[in-house]
Amino acid sequence: MPLEPLPMPDPGTPDISTPTAFLRWLRRSQRRGQLLATWWGVLELGGMAALPTALGLGIQAVVEHDRAGLWRAGALALVLSVLQTTGCVLLHRQAVWNWITAASQLRQLVARQASHLGAGLSRSIATGEIVAVSSGDVEKIGWYVELVARVRAAVLVWLGVSLVVLVQQPLLGAAVLLGVPVLAVAVWPLLGPFERRYDEQRALGGKATELAADTVAGLRVLRGIGGEELFLQRYRAASQRVRAAAVRASRIWALMQAQQVLLPGLFVVGVTWYGAHLAVTGRIGIGQLVAVYGATAFLAAPLRILGEAAHAYSVARVSAGRATRVLALTRGTDGTGAAAALTRPGHGDLYDPATGLTARAGRLTAVVCGDPDLAGELAARLGGHLPPADGEPAGPGVRLGGTVLDEVPLADARAAVLVHDKEPVLLSGTLAELLDVPRSGRVTAAEALAAAQAGDVLGALVDGSPECAGDAMAARITERGRSLSGGQRQRLALARSLVADPPVLVLDEPTSAVDAHTESRIAAALAGLRAGHTTVVLATSPLLLDRAETVVLVRDGRVAATGRHRELLAADPHYRAVVTREDETPVTGDRPVKEPV
Amino acid sequence: MKPPVVEESGPATMLPVGSPAAVRAYVRLMARRHRSGLAGVVLLHTVATLAGLVGPWVLGSLVESLSTGTAEGEVLAAVGWYLAALVVQSAFTGLSRLRGGVLGEEVLADLREDFLVRSVALPPGVLERAGTGDLVSRGTTDVDRLAKSVREAVPELAVAVVSLVLVAGALVLTSPLLAVSALIGLPLLLASSRWYFRRAPQSYRSESAGYAAVNTVLAETVDAGRTVEALRLGEERVTLTDRKIREWLAWERYTLWLRVTWFPTVEATYALAMLGTLVLGGLYALNGWIGVGQLTAGVLYAQALTHPVDMILRWYDELQVGQASLARLVGVREVPDPDTDEGAHPDGLRVTAREVGFGYREGADVLHGISLDVAPGSRVALVGPSGAGKSTLGRLLAGIYAPGRGTVTLGGAQLSRMPAERVRTQVALVNQEHHVFVGTLRDNLRLARPEADDTELRAALAAVDAVEWADALPAGLDTEVGSGGTALTPAQAQQLALARLVLADPHTLVLDEATSLLDPRAARHLERSLARVLDGRTVIAIAHRLHTAHDADVIAVVEQGRISEYGSHPELVAAEGPYAALWRSWRDER
Repeated sequence: MPLEPLPMPDPGTPDISTPTAFLRWLRRSQRRGQLLATWWGVLELGGMAALPTALGLGIQAVVEHDRAGLWRAGALALVLSVLQTTGCVLLHRQAVWNWITAASQLRQLVARQASHLGAGLSRSIATGEIVAVSSGDVEKIGWYVELVARVRAAVLVWLGVSLVVLVQQPLLGAAVLLGVPVLAVAVWPLLGPFERRYDEQRALGGKATELAADTVAGLRVLRGIGGEELFLQRYRAASQRVRAAAVRASRIWALMQAQQVLLPGLFVVGVTWYGAHLAVTGRIGIGQLVAVYGATAFLAAPLRILGEAAHAYSVARVSAGRATRVLALTRGTDGTGAAAALTRPGHGDLYDPATGLTARAGRLTAVVCGDPDLAGELAARLGGHLPPADGEPAGPGVRLGGTVLDEVPLADARAAVLVHDKEPVLLSGTLAELLDVPRSGRVTAAEALAAAQAGDVLGALVDGSPECAGDAMAARITERGRSLSGGQRQRLALARSLVADPPVLVLDEPTSAVDAHTESRIAAALAGLRAGHTTVVLATSPLLLDRAETVVLVRDGRVAATGRHRELLAADPHYRAVVTREDETPVTGDRPVKEPV
Repeated sequence: MKPPVVEESGPATMLPVGSPAAVRAYVRLMARRHRSGLAGVVLLHTVATLAGLVGPWVLGSLVESLSTGTAEGEVLAAVGWYLAALVVQSAFTGLSRLRGGVLGEEVLADLREDFLVRSVALPPGVLERAGTGDLVSRGTTDVDRLAKSVREAVPELAVAVVSLVLVAGALVLTSPLLAVSALIGLPLLLASSRWYFRRAPQSYRSESAGYAAVNTVLAETVDAGRTVEALRLGEERVTLTDRKIREWLAWERYTLWLRVTWFPTVEATYALAMLGTLVLGGLYALNGWIGVGQLTAGVLYAQALTHPVDMILRWYDELQVGQASLARLVGVREVPDPDTDEGAHPDGLRVTAREVGFGYREGADVLHGISLDVAPGSRVALVGPSGAGKSTLGRLLAGIYAPGRGTVTLGGAQLSRMPAERVRTQVALVNQEHHVFVGTLRDNLRLARPEADDTELRAALAAVDAVEWADALPAGLDTEVGSGGTALTPAQAQQLALARLVLADPHTLVLDEATSLLDPRAARHLERSLARVLDGRTVIAIAHRLHTAHDADVIAVVEQGRISEYGSHPELVAAEGPYAALWRSWRDER
């Protein structure tokens, strides 16, 4: 019986109206697996339930000195064992696969959702929340989905056993029929308090883990400045709070364990007592008494499954709630309503009505803006399709060659204008993978790396990844490029945007962490590589500004001056103040005050 | 089925992993520390298991008397015994679980606290080189894995082993002959389990690594939302996630195959035990070697054996996972302490580097024959292209690394021979690695000077132009900052780092791009107000903005691991070297 191939080519469109509906949708998208698991479960539990009968027959045969009867009982036990083993193994295989199916399907859905939301993500939800859905919640949801088949099997077998016993001994049958649900429900009152205390323990545990991670991550600061004892004390206190909470949770856990011995035990004693009574009065044989004892003890198995199900459902519903919340997020501007289309995006001027800024087609324009936050906002606006901020009315949209970018499909707008923001993230992988972005093909990786002056970064990467055998393109970049310095990261990110070579490139402070030596080389190479291609650089460094064909000064949200760097420097005192930072009175005393403005 | 081909290996860890002997020694240490708790748990569970053995025995004697027709009066007594045993079993099960839980939590608290105690004492050079990523994952992932082990695997295994011994003992007492018959499947179980456990631990580790890898990719996609959208990498991220899911599933399939191959042999062993006791036992009883009561109890005990065996097989893996994590925690204890000299005390404040050579790897020096003399109270700027070795030189001057050749001294004493706690009262380094700790703003400052009052804290904030935004925070100094609290901008975090430095007040400061995250204008303002506070202190500043160099007393231009130009700003400008050229283009003084 082959397993369904995974991962699915397409995880489908989920029903996210309610958490319960979502769980149902997941279950239904693996109907075959559910049916198979139920069937193998019935086989396993059925074999288990029938085995005591074989034992009883064997013992009865011994009591009656019936050698042939003993062999017959042995043969029956063998057949039942084979059935049970087959059921057990195949149930395990199918149930695990059902779990995996649900888990991988949900993870695929979350990944697609994350890619779809893109820039809209950081505003609407914390990273941790999405990752939590894909790690912890996935496990719980998968557990529940898989468990449904086992619950069905348990219910079917319990009803079957009740029916068989009911026919032979009505009173015992009734006891089995009613006893199982009563015992299953008996754990519920403790389940709630346990869950609460367990949640409390987990929350405190999470906090302690966070403190440990935080302390260790900042260890270089602590070792360099001091304060270790302060942080140790703090961690010890948190750790002891976890311990106390865990002990509180384990009190209820211990009570549940005791209860799970006591209640089914009482049931077995009661039934066996009645069976013994029947046996003494000769209404049933000794073998049947053993069978009754064994069958009652067997009922612990479906009972465990029902108890597990109650627990799983309560946990999975919470998880499904989180999953549906993540899956229900929208980007704000969908950009699918293609009201307009871009033709030849490299041949139109980029115009921002809000500031009055125009970047001419094919030119290198530098924008100077005293406030780095406003510069960032301007850069983001130049790409169009901003995720809407809360309560803020969207201003008039940026136009490229006369077409409003917001009215163009999102993908087309992003293909036309690439906004390289202040903190571009380096995605982990090899250098070759990093630079493998959708591109025009005009600029090679080598050219881009050379223009970004990344030679020493390649050296550092090769040094840091011995497995690449000297080939920088095969060297690995760790998550967020943490092993590299700020300047090195910035240059790799710049190289990546240069490789993409979009019709319009907007760079926001692309070299703010790069030293002056290197920055001047980058400025020259950038102008060369982008010659004839629309480029906007938001910067305050004279080394970059001097290379621009046009420099635009934005002040108080509007264009205040336009010209070449040198012209503005000579003519505009505010411009000079921003780019040479000489509006401050030196306070060092031992140096003469230079050209105060 | 073959295990999936592993494509990539993670980065090698720079921190040691505990050897098996070290792990064993640590486990013994823990066992000694919690001796009485451990003994209590075993005792309680022994009583519970013994009480649990009464049931089959009662039923066996009932069957015996039924078969001889003397059962009339015995039923009530039997039920009484059974009930009493059940109550004892329940109570002791509960108690042993509770005591086990308390013990487990004490051990866990010890483990995680021991780990952190050792971590905060690691030499700064080791931290600088190994990075903190591996250490963080030990303090979180490994502690969590170990928690699962200690909370579940250890007690379940302990309980199972005690149960197994006692049930087996009961079976032997009932009838040694039956006990032997129950064991006919044992060789099969041993052989197949050996096969399984040789493959399982590694495979499960790979499986959980594969599971985590999917999340890593997803976290990156979310984290880099803007970048992903701007560069149109959405499709690629989906494809990558699907590929990671496929790799994880390959391991899931492989471990599933391992179990599906192994389980039938385990089940067959149980079936053989049951069939052996029933059929062989039945034959013994027919021959009169054992009674029918013994047979009944024996068959039931043989069945009761399966549960503890199941538990041992199930939790054994988990124990191995825990052991691997424990080895990583214990490994931190094995980092050698640096070779320090308690007698190394500085005499004076002059920092001197003489013919210093340094390399991170053998044969690949990044600094060559650097000599630098920093007069007390002077301000030195290190400038030069990226990768020239400025930051490395800064770390050597701050005593974090020991030079490979030559010496770095403070007041005549070698910095690298002084204990870290002494070095930092003299020299402190602030770099781009700013970290805002989870806690209040006050906690974040006080670590530098625990006894500081609010006036001092505010003065330190004022010195770095930070008092304005600090006052604007919702609760001032009491505002919770760091991960989960009020988010500080990178620039504010950098100001915070500098404020700590002001509080710590060492006489020599190494500032490695310490204001690079502020916008240039604010950076210059900050540097100047800081200069006022640090008047008289020695400052070694590494900066990529030339105004920092301009403001310094002496500039050292570092290129390819050597000092290529040295002198004051006017001197260097007059020398017409590379620095002068750069300065002109920067200031546009052509």
